[in-house]
Amino acid sequence: MSGCHESAVPGTQRQERHFHGAQVGRYLLLLLVLAITVGPFLWQLSTSLKGLSEDIYSVPPSFVPHELTPGNYARVGEAVPVWSFALNSLLVAVANVVTNCVGASLAGYALARLRFRGRGLATAVFLGSLLVPFEAIMVALFLVMRSLQLNNTLVAVVLPGAISALNVLLMRNAFLALPGAVEEAALIDGANAWQRFTRIALPSARGTVVVVAVFSFMYSWDDFLWPLIVLSDPSRYTLTIGLSYLQGTFVNDQRLIAAGTMIAVAPLVLLFTVAQKHFFRGVGEGAVKG
Amino acid sequence: MSRQHWLTPWLFLLPSLVAVIGFSLFPFVNTVILAFTNARTIGGGRFTGLDNFGRLLHDPAFWTAAGNSALYVVVVAPALVVLPLLLALLVRRKLPGITFFRTAFFTPVIASVVVVGLIWSWLLDTRGLVNGVLQALGVLRTPIPFLTDQWLLILSAMLVTVWRGLGYYMVIYLAALGSVPRELHEAAQVDGAGRFRRLLSVTLPALRPTMVLVAVLSAVSAFRVFSEVYLLGGPAGGPGGADTTLVMLIEQVGTGLRGDLGYSSALSVVLFLLTLGLLVATSRLDRNEAAS
Amino acid sequence: MNSLSRRGFLVGLACATALAATGCGLSGGDPGAAGGPVTGEVKGSITFQTWALKPKYTDYLNGLVTRFQQAHPGTTVNWVDQPADGYLKKVTADAAAGALPDVVNMPPDLSYPLAKQKLLVDIGSAMPDAAKDYLDNAWSAYALPGQSGSYGFPWYLNTGPVFYNKALFTQAGLDAEHPPTTYAELESAALAMAQHSDRKIAMLGLTPVIADFALYGVNVMDPGGTRFTFNEDKGVRFVELYKKLYDAGALIPEALTANYTGAGTKFMNQQIAWAPGSAYDLSNFKTNAPSLYPNVGITKPITNTGHATMFVQGLSVPESSKNKPTALAFARFVTNAENQLAFAKLVNIFPSTKGTMDDPYFSKSDGTDEAKVRVAAAKQLGTAVNYTPVQWSDQMLTVLQQQLAEAMLGKKSAKQALDEVVAQCDKLLAG
Repeated sequence: MSGCHESAVPGTQRQERHFHGAQVGRYLLLLLVLAITVGPFLWQLSTSLKGLSEDIYSVPPSFVPHELTPGNYARVGEAVPVWSFALNSLLVAVANVVTNCVGASLAGYALARLRFRGRGLATAVFLGSLLVPFEAIMVALFLVMRSLQLNNTLVAVVLPGAISALNVLLMRNAFLALPGAVEEAALIDGANAWQRFTRIALPSARGTVVVVAVFSFMYSWDDFLWPLIVLSDPSRYTLTIGLSYLQGTFVNDQRLIAAGTMIAVAPLVLLFTVAQKHFFRGVGEGAVKG
Repeated sequence: MSRQHWLTPWLFLLPSLVAVIGFSLFPFVNTVILAFTNARTIGGGRFTGLDNFGRLLHDPAFWTAAGNSALYVVVVAPALVVLPLLLALLVRRKLPGITFFRTAFFTPVIASVVVVGLIWSWLLDTRGLVNGVLQALGVLRTPIPFLTDQWLLILSAMLVTVWRGLGYYMVIYLAALGSVPRELHEAAQVDGAGRFRRLLSVTLPALRPTMVLVAVLSAVSAFRVFSEVYLLGGPAGGPGGADTTLVMLIEQVGTGLRGDLGYSSALSVVLFLLTLGLLVATSRLDRNEAAS
Repeated sequence: MNSLSRRGFLVGLACATALAATGCGLSGGDPGAAGGPVTGEVKGSITFQTWALKPKYTDYLNGLVTRFQQAHPGTTVNWVDQPADGYLKKVTADAAAGALPDVVNMPPDLSYPLAKQKLLVDIGSAMPDAAKDYLDNAWSAYALPGQSGSYGFPWYLNTGPVFYNKALFTQAGLDAEHPPTTYAELESAALAMAQHSDRKIAMLGLTPVIADFALYGVNVMDPGGTRFTFNEDKGVRFVELYKKLYDAGALIPEALTANYTGAGTKFMNQQIAWAPGSAYDLSNFKTNAPSLYPNVGITKPITNTGHATMFVQGLSVPESSKNKPTALAFARFVTNAENQLAFAKLVNIFPSTKGTMDDPYFSKSDGTDEAKVRVAAAKQLGTAVNYTPVQWSDQMLTVLQQQLAEAMLGKKSAKQALDEVVAQCDKLLAG
């Protein structure tokens, strides 16, 4: 099963002749974009590996540590209980992935493939919520959580982002792109909405479900302000907040802070690397196998 | 397809409507109410009718901020519809090492915002890399004030926004490219269409709804830009506050224990209405184009 | 979504409706209990919130908690440390919800708006015998201007030297061993440096903040603290001085948009040569800019008033606390002379209790850079003044920075810019 169905398109022999030139051009372009995109990440990585005798804020910035040391990572571990914060983050992020994938798929399917009175209104509600600036409602949301007696719980961290309007719209878009023919056939066979959703539509939109999963994981993993506000017991803090303890009131070691950000980002890089080949899971396979 | 029970679609929608209304629209009602008061962060307030909105119309800071945010949309949104698509087309093929490139292109999305600001300041500073190179090459005598000139600063911030958005929207396009039906490509190939023709006649039309979605998402987030201008132009919003955006203004007015909650709520409500207008305009534009 | 959370949600909806009906944030805080000494048993549990002291000072704070609990059996102190980022937002949300911890670390500018709304315990009347233990200038930092009462136990003080880059001084042909000691000397040194380096190296990295005006001898507010006055002639001359430096390239162009941290970074990457700082900054330089460190010179801050500026941190007890007797007792315990001295030795900050500075630690140098800075700063503290008025807010800082940028760019005269700042700040003060 190839991740990218493009490569499986038959009849590419005709292009074999241009293979070399096109390939080289493509790699040159890839390298160019690479040079533009990775700078900050690379600097962060190099800072996190720098030894104590090296300047952090040199001009121009140095991207190669002269005195390569993994010691900063060990020091992060000593300064902050990384694992227990990471566990909190993981719980929240996994919960967010599940709620978003399930909730957004269901809603996206209804908005895209079911005809009913009030569909326009429902779409407008999601669009509207996309436009609400979070900072404006944060304190009110905090009060809602307090009245639900959920403040200082991880549940309260999960809830506001549990099903984001953005993901609903992404799923709606994915379901809209599906050809109607297969589903109509199923309809004639007497399949109900739930069966059409689970057996036909959802498998065909797997690529977007993976994207929704990656995005929701990323958002909840990176979220800083809301968990800080709603949690009052630091032992329940998530990793992003936990690592910000590396920034002290008095003295800061930028190597340590950089190592902390690398630790926070590593799971996201890993997740993306694993997930990216599934982004293409789409109509082709879905319709056939479903 | 309308043979289902009337309740069915609503059951599909129930969880997300509950979440979205309960944790986003409903708390916003509170903001709307506060917009008609002179409340402070601490210490309460009373209803003052439309005073905040009247004040806003005569507040030069509001007009500056609204103008900057609008300019941001005009420049950033088109760039973020086109460039990530090109990037997605570049990385969709399975080539040796492509996983590495895809991941690397996504790193600006997940890199720490503070580090991103630091690196870009380095590049664009009066004594930064860009000016240094240009001066060494003899192209420039005096450095270009990227970060201290009102217009260059906001352009630089836009550049950073586009740069950060590349990987993000690339992912959305990648997923959409996956759902372009293979049969269409095959049919076009049988008709003898070359690769570029197939891009124009098959891929792009199929991606149209996604492009609209990306346009909406990038326009909404560009209108609400905060971090990039804050990081490059400082908390006061560029020289003399000339590059303040709407969200920055809301922060400036409402932050802290002495925040003017009433006025900042009014600004939030206006921000909401303006983005709503933007959204309606974007979808109208799409509908008109589709019709013609 | 299971049935439990759905039910929870409905409850929440009802509450939120109630909120929306009244507009949460509209009702004022609970009016404080009438003043007078707080009596009652020191017993039960309290929460104590600090700001970014973990993990470096964990042992010290845990030690405090343990010793307090031993001295007062039956008490439990739950120490909570919040990270540096987002502290203001955290305190704001907690204050808006009436959910502040029992003892909170806050600087005077944070306590002022809370005290004004009677949300903090007036320590002057709750513990009438406390005031005598603390230095007068520290104690008064937590008073409301023009009113009686004091709303925080001063915890520690800080004042700092100015750091300068000796190598950059030498490069510019300046005497690195005799740094400027007056504004006039600073001006000519800065102009010389900019000229010598062809505008590549600037002396200064920031436009002035409100305390800088006061150091220059400008009257920032009228004596009653009811309006701002720094647009007086002296203030205008001060801004004109900066304008001259800006035009010459002696004030870095990025100063128009930078903040304090940004200027610190510029000093560490050797783009600016002069930076006011704190004793503990030496460790920052050593850690993050090891090649700069040997070139760091240390000198006294320049002032026209004979006084340096100082910063105060303190502990406040909210009126909403359910256990005020214990909270007050604990706050006083943390800020007593013995505990402050121990903390000062640990961090390189200074105690706010009377007589504690007589400790030889603050007057005898052992020859290290740290000790030299410490002794100099301690001497300076004896007469130092908290030059940032408590009424000064973030919003005012933004206005000042914006208008100063306009003046530097020549879009406004110094006088016009300052008049505008004063007008807007007076409005913010009244609002």
